[in-house]
Amino acid sequence: MDSDDWLDFKRDEFKKWMEDERRRTGLSRAVSAYTLAKESALSRLPELEETRREVRKIKELSIVRMEELVKITMDSVRDVNGEVYLAKDAEEAKEIISDLTGSGKLIVKSKSLTSDEIGLNEALEEMGNSVYETDLGEFIIQLRKEKPTHMINPSVHVPREEVAKTFSELLGREVRPEIPELVGVARGYLREKFCNADVGITGANVISAKTGTIFIVENEGNARFVSNAPPKHICLTGIEKIVPTLSDGFKLLQVLPPYATGVFMSAYVSMITGPSKTADIEKTIVYGAHGPKELHLVLLDNGRRRMAEDKIFREALYCIRCGGCMYECPVYRILGGSFGNNYFGGIGLIWSAFTAGEAQVAAAVDACTKCGRCKEVCPLEIDTPRMVERLKEKLVKKGFVQPKHAEIMKSILEKGNPFGEDERNNYSV
Amino acid sequence: MGLITMHDSILYWKGCMSRLRTKNISDSTMALLDRMGVNFETLDGNEGCCGSVLLRTGQVEAAKRAAEVTVERISSGGFKEVVTACPGCFRTMASEYPKILEEVPFRVRHISQFLVEKKDLIKDRLGSVELKACYHDPCHLGRHMGVYDEPRELIRMVPGLQLIEMKNNRSRSFCCGSGGGVRSVYPDLSREVAKTVAADQIPSGVQLLVTACPFCNFNFREVHVGQFRVMDLPELLLLAWRV
Repeated sequence: MDSDDWLDFKRDEFKKWMEDERRRTGLSRAVSAYTLAKESALSRLPELEETRREVRKIKELSIVRMEELVKITMDSVRDVNGEVYLAKDAEEAKEIISDLTGSGKLIVKSKSLTSDEIGLNEALEEMGNSVYETDLGEFIIQLRKEKPTHMINPSVHVPREEVAKTFSELLGREVRPEIPELVGVARGYLREKFCNADVGITGANVISAKTGTIFIVENEGNARFVSNAPPKHICLTGIEKIVPTLSDGFKLLQVLPPYATGVFMSAYVSMITGPSKTADIEKTIVYGAHGPKELHLVLLDNGRRRMAEDKIFREALYCIRCGGCMYECPVYRILGGSFGNNYFGGIGLIWSAFTAGEAQVAAAVDACTKCGRCKEVCPLEIDTPRMVERLKEKLVKKGFVQPKHAEIMKSILEKGNPFGEDERNNYSV
Repeated sequence: MGLITMHDSILYWKGCMSRLRTKNISDSTMALLDRMGVNFETLDGNEGCCGSVLLRTGQVEAAKRAAEVTVERISSGGFKEVVTACPGCFRTMASEYPKILEEVPFRVRHISQFLVEKKDLIKDRLGSVELKACYHDPCHLGRHMGVYDEPRELIRMVPGLQLIEMKNNRSRSFCCGSGGGVRSVYPDLSREVAKTVAADQIPSGVQLLVTACPFCNFNFREVHVGQFRVMDLPELLLLAWRV
């Protein structure tokens, strides 16, 4: 690297996070709540030990068969009268989706990390659409013009007092920092958006190839509105989310909620197989009964195939995005959303490197202690520290070497210790 | 020094931290081994570097060179048995050398494994230390090498010492924040992790934090706020040793 830009911007981001008491408070409250809830859920679900091993096998197999499963999914979705697209990168995905929405539309969205990955909101807004995030956490940070900082809980760093301030500005009246009241504000404000939206955009937690079924897991009920109320539903998801069958999808569904939020099962699982339809009048099928008339599934590559080709990085594709490892990471607890780029924590370093580019996370990689705690708490036992070491090795070859680490290497090779100290003079061989 | 004595004795490998930054660990380890009557030698300032830091920071070619030199140095001394109090050196030599080198002609163990094997030389010699102590599992020793019981067994051998576990221990133990080359490039982060872990994980009333790693020892000593002492495992055993 000729310039140290890759180092400097991260150093600044880290500093801001470390010094921001407000964010640290929000994060530490969330960590305590999460760890307690998960511990309690897991202790009452001993059978999950076997299920999570099965899910690991399902993911291993699915990633080996990824290309084949993409084809099967595309056929299945078309069979049920949905439209399906395969986007090779972020640009292509944005083009496909923008063509589908057009401009000047009201768009509601449920939480999708994949849409953050491609910068979808910005693209849609640029075309003159109004885009509303409806997941409470996403809604909060959208209003605050911040970036998400956690997979499951994107506003994990914003404490209630700050949410109250943001909502007070939105409504032009005083909103008290009482959590139920804050939730009520979002409910009231977004209700009308759901009903009037032209397009609903969701992600997916799992796709079953054989049936072309989209699984959406959530607790708030917003994704149901988004995928059901508007006449057009667009689902954007990565190709690694595909598993062969419905049963495989159900297995994964059992593991996700306890590890993601410490509940046995999320309040809602939507399973969507094609657009809404009825044949109640003369057995004639008409699409768009009470749900959307159109269903569009956009499958995204954007670096995933490259990941799958590498026998070490392939493991990152097994991630079911429960986000548990982040709460459990000693470094994430301090650096929060600066520990990564569009994805966070150890596994997020890998995902960010492949989807956003290595320069974005090269400096953050050196904040990982490779302690391996994330692997211990991962339901699929993904070996993230091994991948981070491998990524670091790759980065070093490309010139992303911390000057301090280069100095240490020189000292080790010349003096036999990393501290630049002369020792051997004192030692008679 | 003849080769015959070298075959008989073990090599106590200090590691760069204990040689140059946490001499408290190497000094007490050597004193302890002496009192136990263990026949050992060291390479002292001629040890060089095992390559752990290089592996952790992606400098793989340099790590391989360091590994080759290290193996040559140890095996040319005729040592068949290496013992170290540094989990970083231990993991690197015991688990990673075999992956990057053709042959590693000696056995490497962590000091806690060695001491447990020799516990008969220790157990009747320890006097009472009336303290509430807490043990911190180092990442390299615990999660990466599966050594959880030996340090605890040794700590429990000290009469009067009450061992209290951290909120998260063994495979769920929290990193002190200095691993993986983090401390050298983000020292503030490293200290902040140690501070948070100490505050969140150590139960109240603990007077002594027992480490089993020079990096953890150094990091915790630097940030601890005075409510407890920080001591590495050999230091504790030496403290308890009755003269």
